[in-house]
Amino acid sequence: MIGILKGMAVTLRHALDGETFTVEYPETAPEVSPRFRGVHKFSQERCIWCRQCENVCPNDTIQIVQDDKRNGEQYNLHIGQCIYCRLCEEVCPVDAILLTQNFEFTADTKNDFVYNKEQLKNVPWYKDIDPLNSRNPDRNAWIGEGEGEVDYQ
Amino acid sequence: MSLQAVLPDTISGLLGLEGILGDVVGGLVGAFLIANIMLIMTAFAGPWAKRKITAAFGDRIAVNRIGPFGLLTIVTDAVRLLSKELIVPEGVDRPAWDLAPMVIPFSALLGFAVIPMGNGIQLADPETGLAFAFAAASIASLGIVMTGYASNNKFSLIGALRAVASNIAYEIPLVVTAASVVIFAGSLRMSEIVAVQAEPLLSVAGVTIPTWFAFVNPFAFALFIIANLAEVGRNPFDIPEAPTEIVAGFQTEYSSVYFVLIYLGEFIHIFLGGAIAATLFLGGPAGPVLPGFVWFTIKIWAFFLFTQWARSAIPRLRVDQFLEIGWKGMLVLSFANLVLTAIIVGVIV
Amino acid sequence: MSLEEQQSDDPAELESGVSRGDELADLLGDLVVGREEHLNAPGLVIRPDEVQDALFKLRDEAGFDHLSCVTAQEYEDRYESIYHLTKFDDRTDEVSVVVPTSKDNPVSQSAEPVFRTADWHEREAYDLVGIQYEDHPDLRRILLPDTWQGHPLGLDYDQDRPQIATLREHANPLEEDHRAGDSNTMYINIGPHHPATHGVLHVETVVDGEQVVDLDSDIGYLHRCEEQMCQQGTYRHQIMPYPDRWDYISAGLLNEWAYARTAEDLADIEVPEYAQIIRTMGAELCRIASHMIALGTFALDVYGDFTAIFMYAMRDREIVQNILEDLTGQRMMFNYFRLGGVVWDLPEPREEFFEKIRDFIDELPQALEEYHDMITSNEILQARTVGTGVLPPEVAKSYGATGPVARGSGIDYDLRRDDSYGYYDELDWDVVVEDGCDNFSRLLVRMREVEESAKIIQQCVDLLEDWPEDERNIQANVPRTLKPEEDTEIYRAVEGAKGELGIYIRADGTDKPARFKIRSPCFSNLQTLPEMSEGEYIPDMIASLGSLDIVLGEVDR
Repeated sequence: MIGILKGMAVTLRHALDGETFTVEYPETAPEVSPRFRGVHKFSQERCIWCRQCENVCPNDTIQIVQDDKRNGEQYNLHIGQCIYCRLCEEVCPVDAILLTQNFEFTADTKNDFVYNKEQLKNVPWYKDIDPLNSRNPDRNAWIGEGEGEVDYQ
Repeated sequence: MSLQAVLPDTISGLLGLEGILGDVVGGLVGAFLIANIMLIMTAFAGPWAKRKITAAFGDRIAVNRIGPFGLLTIVTDAVRLLSKELIVPEGVDRPAWDLAPMVIPFSALLGFAVIPMGNGIQLADPETGLAFAFAAASIASLGIVMTGYASNNKFSLIGALRAVASNIAYEIPLVVTAASVVIFAGSLRMSEIVAVQAEPLLSVAGVTIPTWFAFVNPFAFALFIIANLAEVGRNPFDIPEAPTEIVAGFQTEYSSVYFVLIYLGEFIHIFLGGAIAATLFLGGPAGPVLPGFVWFTIKIWAFFLFTQWARSAIPRLRVDQFLEIGWKGMLVLSFANLVLTAIIVGVIV
Repeated sequence: MSLEEQQSDDPAELESGVSRGDELADLLGDLVVGREEHLNAPGLVIRPDEVQDALFKLRDEAGFDHLSCVTAQEYEDRYESIYHLTKFDDRTDEVSVVVPTSKDNPVSQSAEPVFRTADWHEREAYDLVGIQYEDHPDLRRILLPDTWQGHPLGLDYDQDRPQIATLREHANPLEEDHRAGDSNTMYINIGPHHPATHGVLHVETVVDGEQVVDLDSDIGYLHRCEEQMCQQGTYRHQIMPYPDRWDYISAGLLNEWAYARTAEDLADIEVPEYAQIIRTMGAELCRIASHMIALGTFALDVYGDFTAIFMYAMRDREIVQNILEDLTGQRMMFNYFRLGGVVWDLPEPREEFFEKIRDFIDELPQALEEYHDMITSNEILQARTVGTGVLPPEVAKSYGATGPVARGSGIDYDLRRDDSYGYYDELDWDVVVEDGCDNFSRLLVRMREVEESAKIIQQCVDLLEDWPEDERNIQANVPRTLKPEEDTEIYRAVEGAKGELGIYIRADGTDKPARFKIRSPCFSNLQTLPEMSEGEYIPDMIASLGSLDIVLGEVDR
């Protein structure tokens, strides 16, 4: 009986202290850590079309179409199929593809999740955080310094 | 002791009707009023209060989007549930399957006919009021058996059998414990039971404590509350439903309107349990300052709160342990309580 | 490769001059028709009709009481089943019993009479590869539907051929089906959609009133071809994201470690000490998160509603997940380990990160106190769990149960200590063992393991904090493409959240594995359910299922 009362006391204490652990989501946007991996952002200006991201992608999420002179024509990414492993960002020598912290994406059909390079370029930063800056301390271990200012816009 | 006028008489008096016509109209309007009071309470309790309370115990926020404090959830929930498709599974026993969702809430509502809710709100005050309340409340078991049998679903069947077993095991201690109150009060009439409790028990520093039977015999009160929990099928005794074991027990196959009816029935049943407990042990609608009906509402909501609190903190018993406690524990204790009360009352009076 | 090196590392062999393989071959005598060397153990080749003799001898005379895994594979010229044997008392003593069978008649003797766990493992081998096992009590498909045509991991399997099964072949859902016959029992399908099966598990139950007479778990609803997916990925990068998805309930880093350890041993990669400490810390954080879910859902199964305890457990797990998100960049699908280390150093500013972990560790005892108040000291819960779902140690061993399930049955077996990897042997912690063998013991083991994990994390944080700045080496130098030598085989296991998570890899000289076999702890643990539940009540069966803490993603893979 004492054990039962103890349990009831614990729940009552939690009920009365009025603290809540959940947040009201759209109003209170959650803190996302700088390393968080969300939707991709792609910069055509930086991309050198080396196709390394396409090769490393574990489940063929990235599709690159080149013309016969190996100039890039299309860069398609199925963000609904992606498993957000960040390997593409990891192998990219010029920071052309980056995973933003943006985790909010919706679509009416599965096909809407196939993003072309324009859509990938227009993916917004989450809370205006450019992950490249926040990931800076970690980057040396993995990606060499890109050339010049990064221009995603 | 002069009997208070019951609600139908008041109504027919107000309308200026007399004779059989007055009885009929008064009774119907009164019943309509009381049923609506209970349905409104249930509407608050089911989709809204239950969520809020559970959330508070679990450190969550819960419904707060629609309307102030999320109160309009009640409306949206009603629309949502009523607009769902009513799925009738293959092989159900049609009349019984359709009837059961009506039997459950109506039996619980029927019990309220004899409950004095204060301010003269009482539909009828027969001499055997208490017996009527218990009898009406236990018709719900019949409804549950009907759902379980008619659903053509094995989980429902197990749930229904469990409901029968638990009702038999706990109805007896419940009634026997209530009988000890009857010995005190010397009457089965609800209004008299309430009236007896209004007398002062003792006076401490100017505050008069009334003879509420919860104060006179706390042991019986505890027994009654536990048996009552089992009777209304709440944790830790929600054996007939037992979501993690038998999916949803007797109501597994019900959807849409039928589900709403069963759900309503369960909540009204909780309130009826609270109402009987309040009438027998907490002086019914009695209380200082506030009007009787408010006090009555507070008391039945307190019981509702208690069921939710128990739900969040107490594990469910296994069905055999549950029956063991019922037959070997509660039954013995309740009879002991009855005999002791009888002796004490016999010696004192 | 490091075959020779590894042999000579064995101290027993240095003393006697006779390798473990020779010893065991001598013991088996004529039963051995050939020898193989796997990186983890000597391999003894046995004729397919003498499997039971050999295994009985190894079990009874050499003490190999743990059939960790059964791997089946098809070569160009033969089928092969490998029985990975080891001991509960000495995990480092391993032997692989290799049983080749011919292509035209792939029949091999079943190991089921020796080890009960071989039942499901051989069914899986039959299902996916197509080897027949003689003497097997119940050789049916296990992961794929009964109507499946072909064996998908066989070499001649045509993936593009559509699977056509007519309604006649399927069990007709509209047909009347009374399996219990004239007896007084009732047949119930518990699952695949049931509130307490923790995913899509289907338990075919025969009940007599409220008592379970017979039950059979039907699995495979969540089969996602994980083994084959890993066979199509490169060692270096593409396999690592997938282990997160086997046991997807926050045990990601533990799973990743299973692959990392196996592949690193296969390719002979040394992991820097600093990275090992980070790995150890991350893995233990995952273990806490995973045990919190186990605790919450077990309480849910017994209590019956998504109520307070489940929420409190989720809340504490959430804190762990926030820490893991800071460290790895994801909340569940981490992809944080790399062969030879980890992908990122600790997040900057480091002090803040350490502070966060410290806060969590400091508040954990209080949270656990609450759980004890609400769960373990509750009389009703005790009445529900003490003495129910009993799994005697001998039975648990025979079924290959590991992890908290084995430790709740009094088996002192933990790979972190018995076959140490990472940084565990440098740290001060204890293996938690309870000998009640019931649901309550398994619950207690998990709760106490959370405390031990907290201890480990505490020590790791201390070590990491004082680590000299210029020695923070998070990655060994690993070539961009790994191509282990042809026909090297290895089976390695780590202590996952649910038990021994083993991986067998056979390399064929390319940059992708030729055979990738996952030994899922949940798969073996779930097999014990009939032992625990038959004769008990339905609620106890549900509680036992909850106490096994299975994740169907890992059971079905």
